[in-house]
Amino acid sequence: MNVKATMTNLVKYRGLEGQWSFILHRLTGLGVLAFLIFHVLDTSTVFFFPSLYADAIGLYRTVPFMIGEIFLVFSVIYHGVNGARIAILDLYLVKNWEIKFQRNSVLWTLVIAIVLWLPAAFVMGRNVLEKLGI
Amino acid sequence: MRYSGLLLIPLAWGHVLIQDVLVGVDRIDLNYVSMRWAYLGWRAYDLFLLVFALAHGINGLRQVVLDFLSTRKNIRWLNQTLLALWLVLVLAGIAALVGGVRKP
Repeated sequence: MNVKATMTNLVKYRGLEGQWSFILHRLTGLGVLAFLIFHVLDTSTVFFFPSLYADAIGLYRTVPFMIGEIFLVFSVIYHGVNGARIAILDLYLVKNWEIKFQRNSVLWTLVIAIVLWLPAAFVMGRNVLEKLGI
Repeated sequence: MRYSGLLLIPLAWGHVLIQDVLVGVDRIDLNYVSMRWAYLGWRAYDLFLLVFALAHGINGLRQVVLDFLSTRKNIRWLNQTLLALWLVLVLAGIAALVGGVRKP
């Protein structure tokens, strides 16, 4: 096999739904972890450096952080729903494994995550608009 | 990962729902934290969340980075670095949870 054919095969990797849910699962997980590390440190200032806590919270009250928080909530919800999907399908429903069902489950996961996220996004988005005076 | 993940669904979602959606960051300050931590139950909740979320998250990061490492030396370095990071964060969090809010 020549180089061109090898490269074309790599680019044409056909992961479809499974690959997309894998990527989204990793990205949301890493994003939540990044926030978690920062959040443990800022909350521990209530004991170590209490005078700094107001500054940390002040950062969370800025508009860019409030918008980021809306995406953080989506990440937490999606990662949870998708993790539950993997756990349930792989631990308890292995016998019913069927490719069509697996592919559909990826889309259902996204739908459930968005439906759970929208009310939270609405409340949090309203807070952002209030802060902007709109 | 699966069992800690299933446990984190109620813990993390509950935390996000209460603090970010129902209470909102504008009402959170030192007084709010000390009021919340006055209840031993909330401290226990936060302790569970802290321990399981950090273990789950840092183990997840380990899995992701492991996909890009191949030599034993690199893998050992990764494991030790993440173990150290995990220890620092868990100990800082537990110290705050046990020590509580101090007056600035």
